[in-house]
Amino acid sequence: MEAIQENVEIPEALKVVFAKLEEEFGDKFLGSSFFRGELTFTVSVDDYVAVATLCKESPDLAFERLDCLLGNHYPKRAEAPFEVVLHLTSVSRNVRLRLKVPLAEGQKIPTISGVWASADWDEREAWEMYGIEFLGHPNLIRLLTTEDFVGFPLRKDFPVKGTVGGRIRTDLKGKI
Amino acid sequence: MAGHGLDQHDAPPAPHRPTSAELVERKALTRQRVAADNETITVSMGPQHPSMHGVYQAVVDLDGEVIVATRPGIGNLHRGVEKLAENLTYHQFIPVTDRLDYVSSFAMNHGYCEAVEKLMGVDVPVRARYIRTIAHELARLSNHILWLGVHIMDFGAQTFFLICFRDREYILDLFEMVCGARLTHSYARIGGVAKDLPDGWVEKCRAAVDYLPKRLAEYERLITVNRIFLKRARNVGIFTTEDCHQWRITGPSLRATGVARDLRKDEPYAAYPEVDFEVAVEYDADVYSRFLVRMKEMYESCKIIQQCLDNLPDGPFLAADAAHVLPLKKNVLRDSAAMVQDFMYVIRGPQVPKGEVYRAIEVPKGEMGVYIVSDGGPKPQRLRLSTPSFYHGQAIPAMFEGEMLSDSVGIFGSVDIVLGDCDR
Amino acid sequence: MGMTDPAGSRRAAPFSSLETSRLLSAADLAALTDASDAQVKEALHEDHIPGVAIPASLEKLLGFGRSFSWWPLLFGLACCAIEMMATAGPRYDLSRFGMEAMRASPRQADGMIVAGWCSTKMAPRVVRLYEQIADPKWVLAMGSCATSGNIWNTYNVVQGIDALIPVDVYVPGCPPRPEALWEGLEMLRDRVKQSRHAYDGLRVIPARAAIGE
Repeated sequence: MEAIQENVEIPEALKVVFAKLEEEFGDKFLGSSFFRGELTFTVSVDDYVAVATLCKESPDLAFERLDCLLGNHYPKRAEAPFEVVLHLTSVSRNVRLRLKVPLAEGQKIPTISGVWASADWDEREAWEMYGIEFLGHPNLIRLLTTEDFVGFPLRKDFPVKGTVGGRIRTDLKGKI
Repeated sequence: MAGHGLDQHDAPPAPHRPTSAELVERKALTRQRVAADNETITVSMGPQHPSMHGVYQAVVDLDGEVIVATRPGIGNLHRGVEKLAENLTYHQFIPVTDRLDYVSSFAMNHGYCEAVEKLMGVDVPVRARYIRTIAHELARLSNHILWLGVHIMDFGAQTFFLICFRDREYILDLFEMVCGARLTHSYARIGGVAKDLPDGWVEKCRAAVDYLPKRLAEYERLITVNRIFLKRARNVGIFTTEDCHQWRITGPSLRATGVARDLRKDEPYAAYPEVDFEVAVEYDADVYSRFLVRMKEMYESCKIIQQCLDNLPDGPFLAADAAHVLPLKKNVLRDSAAMVQDFMYVIRGPQVPKGEVYRAIEVPKGEMGVYIVSDGGPKPQRLRLSTPSFYHGQAIPAMFEGEMLSDSVGIFGSVDIVLGDCDR
Repeated sequence: MGMTDPAGSRRAAPFSSLETSRLLSAADLAALTDASDAQVKEALHEDHIPGVAIPASLEKLLGFGRSFSWWPLLFGLACCAIEMMATAGPRYDLSRFGMEAMRASPRQADGMIVAGWCSTKMAPRVVRLYEQIADPKWVLAMGSCATSGNIWNTYNVVQGIDALIPVDVYVPGCPPRPEALWEGLEMLRDRVKQSRHAYDGLRVIPARAAIGE
């Protein structure tokens, strides 16, 4: 992950977050960056749950809320084409943080629906759209598309119009 | 006709005395039911249902009248907006954002444009910021009035729906005057707004915003101390702050638990730093508190609009940033440089730096976060719309648990879910 | 006019039992060309009319009645539903045409206004609801999404509900203004009056034809 630096002073609240995370996990981070006032840390799959739990439980960090968890697909990045991105918010301190976890093809990532309950549907959607499997997820089935949908729509090699066709709905067999 | 049995002087009909065979059968059935005490009845409040706002399927397991578990089904309105975003330029995506929360379309436009402007580093001129604030607050009023009408109709008071629609028409008239559309506005542009305010709009807006608080007072007289509403809404659907943070509940539902979190104050944008308004907070975290928060927000919206109209500055309505913003239409038809710029902007899209941003704003339903990853091309590499209704829909099982089935409709209404926002 | 020729008597004097008017011969008509209104009335026995019989077909009467109380199924999917609600609102009152009673159950409905895009997940439900509506039924596709899929040319949206069910009236717009929906409803009411349907006698549903049923 390239660090995009700017000649902008990092705000105090984010400096506290940066310092605390560096202190706990310093050498384990794969990268960090600061762009347009936002702090991003890149974390490996092994440390991911520990970092997320610390962010929530530590009183210095207090990231009570997971704003969203999403997947991403970089087909040109051969060693880690997939990525899971988390956006955390600390309501009490009014601070935001982004965590990114790069994943190889077929690599599985543990679930954090035990840390923030709202990750449940986010992870289901990430699986449904990218095929990223979340270990320990209570209910990893299709959420937004039909149960028998074939393919992972948000991958870059999936066509926008899909594979079934818009008007002659042969996929309704057995459903009506 | 004598002996028809309906005359008040006739003897009441004799009760049916069951035969012994019938009694034996009845007892056997009761014993069966008592033995299978753990069985719940599953009711599918399926996607087409008069009370579910939009096509949300709530498959509830009932123990008598009490909801034990809920299995929600969404995706009935999924279009693949995020996939579409990767195939449209940043400018072409603006009408798509309209159709997310279609009840307050401008709010979605605004949120998206704020995120793109943050990514590009574009400064919106001050008049455009004020116009956006006014339009956003009108969208908030439109959303809350519609929500109120539908919510109270869920409780059975159907006239209120018509009353709310009457007042909402004044707001839709204002939007129609300014951007041509009643519902799906597409009024915000990257760097400002699409058009300047027409002549007479300010007066008409002022008239509407002076009139609305009187109507809101009338709604309060009808509902806030209404015994039926109090009985149905007080202590129903309690969802504490901790629950809200766990389930990412934001907006009025979070403020009803006592947390004064409002992104218009915490992460200000547009003209909000320059206007004076209060954050609506209640402490009981039930359906009634959410109603009170939204009522207060409507009053505050009227205040904000009045202040913005009083202090509306002159100036351009669109930033003059050749690489990132559309040129003004009047220049496009006269000046060849502007024409080329317009052509490149519409056909190829604006120039966007590489990087990623997450920008959240306070839309009427909660916090909408827009996450854009740009690889320097005209189309986003990834666009994620973290819409409030998605998470509110996810929290519905937690909210329904332990509540009665007849309360579930009120709770569902109080969280304010719109399925276009949820399924994207 | 005896019992020997009962059918003949009926054919010869169709209105004799009602005493409405006397069929005039050519000579009588010629005598009436310069007559006053009172004389014409006397000649036609119009003052003896106990009532007026308007010969009309039963279908037309039923169609007229149906068109003034056509109750659609409450089927708002997306943004067009909000404009449909606004059309039912006080400014563009649908109640004038007897349509404010949007039925919740398809069994009680006379048709559907499909307002919004139909996703592949919702498609079987749309077909099932349509089939559950009792005959005679009409469908109005409200908005560009129901007509053709609009801008949602993606993997999850059916490009027009006429791929699923027979549609009577299309109302384009995004969303169509209440006045536009009103015009569409007027066209629909014309079809209801004439008892003209989009489905043929065999009631072929495009969705079932597509899967080969």
